[in-house]
Amino acid sequence: MLRALTYSIQEAWESLGRSRLSGLVSVMTITVALLILGAFLVVTSNLQQLLAAWQSAAEISVYVADTISPEQRAALDDLLAGSRAVASHEFVSKSQALARFRAQFADLAPVAATFPHNPFPASFDVRLRQEARQAQTVDSLAASLRKMAGVSDVRYDRVWLERLLLTLAALQAMGWVLAGIVVVGAALTVSNVVRLTCYARRHELEIMRLVGAPMAYVRGPFVMEGALQGGAGALVALLVLWSGFAFIRGRYGEMALMALGIPELRFLPVQLCIGLVVGGMAVGCAGGLVASLGTEAGEGLVSAAPVAEAQATH
Amino acid sequence: MIDADRLSKVYARGVYAIRDLSLKIDKGEFVFLTGPSGAGKTTFLRLLLREELQTEGRLMVHGRELASMSSGEVQTYRRSLGFVFQDFKLIPGKRVFENVSFVPRVLGVTVEQQRRRAFQVLKWVGLQHRMSAYPHELSGGEQQRIAIARALVNEPSLVLADEPTGNLDPDLSLEIMNLFREINARGTTVVVATHDRELIRRVGRRAIALAHGSLTEAV
Ligand SMILES: Nc1ncnc2c1ncn2[C@@H]1O[C@H](COP(=O)(O)OP(=O)(O)O)[C@@H](O)[C@H]1O
Ligand SMILES: [Mg+2]
Repeated sequence: MLRALTYSIQEAWESLGRSRLSGLVSVMTITVALLILGAFLVVTSNLQQLLAAWQSAAEISVYVADTISPEQRAALDDLLAGSRAVASHEFVSKSQALARFRAQFADLAPVAATFPHNPFPASFDVRLRQEARQAQTVDSLAASLRKMAGVSDVRYDRVWLERLLLTLAALQAMGWVLAGIVVVGAALTVSNVVRLTCYARRHELEIMRLVGAPMAYVRGPFVMEGALQGGAGALVALLVLWSGFAFIRGRYGEMALMALGIPELRFLPVQLCIGLVVGGMAVGCAGGLVASLGTEAGEGLVSAAPVAEAQATH
Repeated sequence: MIDADRLSKVYARGVYAIRDLSLKIDKGEFVFLTGPSGAGKTTFLRLLLREELQTEGRLMVHGRELASMSSGEVQTYRRSLGFVFQDFKLIPGKRVFENVSFVPRVLGVTVEQQRRRAFQVLKWVGLQHRMSAYPHELSGGEQQRIAIARALVNEPSLVLADEPTGNLDPDLSLEIMNLFREINARGTTVVVATHDRELIRRVGRRAIALAHGSLTEAV
């Protein structure tokens, strides 16, 4: 078995050296397929991170009037403390709100300095419990808050956050479907390229058949060739993806972090990178195997021949 | 060794390539298969190689019925055969030595054994000095000797040759036949298909004559 493996690797390597152009085509289709999948994964995983950051941020802001009395504030405090939907709440005074604005928008500090008086209202920042994050619960809490004396406004971004989550899920599903289609396309391309190899190795194949060589020796080189092409394609895809990612992070990273409030832009985790390479190799293997199935009866050779000749004349 | 019983082979268009053929070839024999072009010689050899299946009748080799073999058994059976063709069928991209060692290589023999056996048979056909040449750099006679070396590298018990001298001039043909005689002298059964009656006369072995896929009178 080990000898069959060595043999397969040697023959596949030789074949890749022989058919550089068509091998390149194979590698490129795998690269494109995995690039699409990888880009989708990078974008959606960062979006997910972003949404998670937003979700854990203040989810209900209860703005209070400047004229609120200490009793009214205490009543509000009690209501929030007593609600089962609330995980935590925090009072943000007018001056704290101004300080927050100055810290977050340093560029606008001169503008803030020109304010005749502090325009920011005081508020309660309310975080909800994980299990209370349904539109109805939040709606009823908001309604009872609005009825309280001294409350000027209640804002919550639950609903559109939920929509965003749904959109993201749809986007991810679309990504998988798209990637699935391209991956199948890539496998077919590999299979066709490996069929050209069948033609190039027709003399070897005939001899192998006539001397009764085991299937591992007949098919091994094709499967191995597909695997090598798939692995190479995946590595190239990762490299391109990472370069693109590094470029974007260098150019727009800080801005994105500021504007969106996520800790850092992330590349794919190592396990997923390895997964992509393994996946690329698996796709290549599948393509090679499909191509080699035709070799058993020698039919593959006959039907592959015109294709190979047509290619050769280009 | 070889036992054909009322064997027939009909190709797609209804042509009988072999018709009701019964013959026996003993172990250790050297037999010619002769007859005009289209007589069915190649078809009979292809049936023996189990490249084709018969339409009717029975074909036994080593006491085994070829048609009933599983694909695994076919592989095992083919490992006991050596074959030589008119067009040599050498692998153009491989050197002489690799062409010969290719057979043990794809049968999973160790590298050391591959080398030892290939060198041995190349020496035996007298071409060890052309080991690193490519097939196209050799003459027809030399290429056929390489093909014979390859047929022997796996120490077969039965060697099949289809018009092995078809592309060679008479002197070279006799030289090739002498190699087959030597192979046969070591106990290997040899079946050579040729339409060259003059060659058969000069070698002087049993000849089975075919015409239209059936036996005609022996020469
Ligand atoms: N693959 C094939 N398909 C159809 N007919 C064939 C095929 N191979 C051989 N034949 C026919 O079978 C007959 C015997 O051919 P063959 O065995 O090649 O004879 P020989 O080798 O004695 O010249 C011929 O009539 C030939 O046309
Ligand atoms: Mg013939």
